[in-house]
Amino acid sequence: MTEDIINMRGWVRTAMDFVSENTIGMSRHWEYTDSVAWFLTEFMMCVMVFGGIMTTLLVLLWMERKLLGRFMDRRGARTSLRSLWVGENGVTAGEWWTQLPFGTGIPIGMLNKALNEIAGNDHKLEAVSRVKNRSYHGVWWLLPGFFQNLADGMKFLTKEHMVPEKADRYVFEIAPFLIIATTVMCFTFIPLGPNFHSNNSEMSILFLMAVFSVAPLGVFFAGWSSNNKYTLLGGIRSAAQLTAYEIPLLVTVLSVVVLSGSFNLIEVIEFQVDSGVWNIFLLPLGAVLFIVVMVAEVERIPFDMPEAEAELVEGWWTEYGGMRWGLMFASEYLRTYAACLLFAHFFLGGWEAPFEDTIPFIHYIPHITWVFLKAWFIFIFFVWFRAALHRVRTDQILEFGWRWLLPLSLVNLAMATVLRLWVYDGVKEEWPILVPILITSISLALFVLLSIDEDPKALEAQTRPFSVQTVDVASPGQHRK
Amino acid sequence: MAEMWISMGPQHPMTHGLWTLKVKVDGETVVDTEPDLGYIHRGVEKICEARDFTQITTYCDRLCYASANTWSHAYIYAAEDLLDVEVPERAEYIRMVAVELQRIASHLMWLGAYCPDVGNLTGMVWCLREREMMMDLLQELGGSRMHYNFPRVGGVKRDLPIGFAMRCRAKLKLFLDRIQEYEALLDESTIFLIRTQGVGYAKAEEMINHGVSGPNVRAAGHNYDVRWAHPYSVYDELDWEPSVERPSIKGSDCYDRYRVRVEEMRQSASMVLEGLDKMPGGSETYHEPGDPAILAKVRERAAEGKTGYHHFEDSRGESMFYLVGGGEKRGKHPYRVSIRSPMFITIPYAAKCMIGYKIADIPAIMGSFDPCIGETDR
Repeated sequence: MTEDIINMRGWVRTAMDFVSENTIGMSRHWEYTDSVAWFLTEFMMCVMVFGGIMTTLLVLLWMERKLLGRFMDRRGARTSLRSLWVGENGVTAGEWWTQLPFGTGIPIGMLNKALNEIAGNDHKLEAVSRVKNRSYHGVWWLLPGFFQNLADGMKFLTKEHMVPEKADRYVFEIAPFLIIATTVMCFTFIPLGPNFHSNNSEMSILFLMAVFSVAPLGVFFAGWSSNNKYTLLGGIRSAAQLTAYEIPLLVTVLSVVVLSGSFNLIEVIEFQVDSGVWNIFLLPLGAVLFIVVMVAEVERIPFDMPEAEAELVEGWWTEYGGMRWGLMFASEYLRTYAACLLFAHFFLGGWEAPFEDTIPFIHYIPHITWVFLKAWFIFIFFVWFRAALHRVRTDQILEFGWRWLLPLSLVNLAMATVLRLWVYDGVKEEWPILVPILITSISLALFVLLSIDEDPKALEAQTRPFSVQTVDVASPGQHRK
Repeated sequence: MAEMWISMGPQHPMTHGLWTLKVKVDGETVVDTEPDLGYIHRGVEKICEARDFTQITTYCDRLCYASANTWSHAYIYAAEDLLDVEVPERAEYIRMVAVELQRIASHLMWLGAYCPDVGNLTGMVWCLREREMMMDLLQELGGSRMHYNFPRVGGVKRDLPIGFAMRCRAKLKLFLDRIQEYEALLDESTIFLIRTQGVGYAKAEEMINHGVSGPNVRAAGHNYDVRWAHPYSVYDELDWEPSVERPSIKGSDCYDRYRVRVEEMRQSASMVLEGLDKMPGGSETYHEPGDPAILAKVRERAAEGKTGYHHFEDSRGESMFYLVGGGEKRGKHPYRVSIRSPMFITIPYAAKCMIGYKIADIPAIMGSFDPCIGETDR
């Protein structure tokens, strides 16, 4: 196991041992002391992992808003960076730090003042402030918008819960619970650090994938039971899409499992720590497939057909409101978060710091930091896709899933098998550094070659490089025979 | 799966306005459609009968929220035809500048609405950002951001503001650069291409039979632009050609209609730049100053039964105003005002174009025809 300065499980166990020894150990049920301590440890770890995930989920929402703002509205680099802490349009929240007790806010105020002088828009010439595209206020900042999500949550809580009159009430009520519960359950098996996990079962990846794919059922329930044509179509689309992308996802995960030789997520990470190279350099194709499939699984642009707002208004969750909608929204981001964390664990070495063996003193940074940083880094790609790409049509999504992703994932599985059988066969001395370098450079070269998809002849002839088959030539007046 | 009717509208993201598209679907395939218009019918034609000739301009501004200037100009030319008013050349150039800037703004609004139709919000934000420059320029001319009320019978409201040409040139140059960003975002995106190419075929001959005009018909390869075929204003003095796409044998698809509008934006920008160069000097922009001077002559000039009309190349197609004078009986008011709305003709055709495609194609096809309900319902 990786050494970590945060031995969270050990600390919790020690504390719980102390608690149970002094409570149940003193009673006539003293023989259950260990079991109670174990139970309390598991419970505490569950609570801590869940709390950590839910708290850092705010980071994801905040990142998405801020990054999309940058992508969509081009601003200069300096404005962009500064506006990460300056409120949008210079909105200020007052000098809130003066309210803090015992003068604890004084350093915040000083920092604020310093940053205002360096990068603020409180210039003495109003014209300069306007050029900086911010109104003529000082800067309050640091996380404006970060707590917006809490405010949104409060708003959802105060909203009325409505069930459509003709909806199938029981199914309509069960569907959100099905979605939310299974989504939260995913995090049982995702470790946040070497000693920071709530469960470490032998087949954790298998269980994780099984739980991950229950939510589509809830989506289909929600779409059908709302008794609305848009939700029905959204539910059907969701079922078709998730089924089509479940199989490539499982095969891709299987390739990681084959390479690492274990169904246990922690052992998959330990394999990457031991081999000294992250899986992304061994299975680049698998990494690309995983992120594409995951975008489809969590229904984000370009694969957000089930909730396509242009034609289906909001798809399967049109009829939901209040906190049920809020929690389903949160669960969608939780699924995205799970996807990012899984990518970090499967392909980016999990909690291993980059160049952990070469950079001195890097192991003093808690490993949980790297897990979150990697997950957030992957989330940048999710936001980037959303800003840059359009929505793919239903039939094109299915075609892409069945005709491209499934065969490619099988190819990837074959590559993983070859690597496992002849290169990474468990004898560490024979793991050459040449293999990942070779694989990565070949993949990069292929990527560059395939990216150049312009056909000069086709461009010259003005033919359509991309064309889709349509049912028939649509012609007005002919549809009514 | 059984066939069912879905009622898209009156409030639906696809509609770009207030109307209903009833769609009969078989699973995901569209089998039949039925547009239902008329939610915001205000009776503009009837209102105009109770207004004098100078008051009608403001109502024409409100025909289309995205392209106000073109509609008020369309009316002004018809009114000048009826009243036999001559316009100074400088005023004609200023009108041309105003209309073409409005055309760019309108097409940007269209592109900005089309990007979310196919699932991308970035394009919308970028387009609205550039539209803001056009709005600023038009605000300098008309004093307002949306309904400018800029043209007058016999001229324009006022001369160009000081430094307008300089700012206009700078902004248009910047805009011409930024068009390339849209093309980088859209034309080079495979997903955009597979969403728009081969979708929503519309043949030129069918569109002509239905009366569809403007960019939609030019996208199908038919070279008909009122500015070019029947030049009015100063369009024959400028060096330009209509932008016409070369479609496939099946007709024009959504991508053609997108391309033709982007080309038109380029073209309008270059026309404005050229117009600013060729614009004659002087401050004479108002042939018969003051509305009372015009209105005093209405009784004799707009005799009973006399008609005036003008075909105008609107941002969305060929618009036409048809005015009938009432003579002494009607006083300063026209006897009848009739408006030809290009979108009223295009929307039923576009609704039939989407038969046979998927539900997901409905916004892509409908949006590519650039619907504007304000002028459709009038």
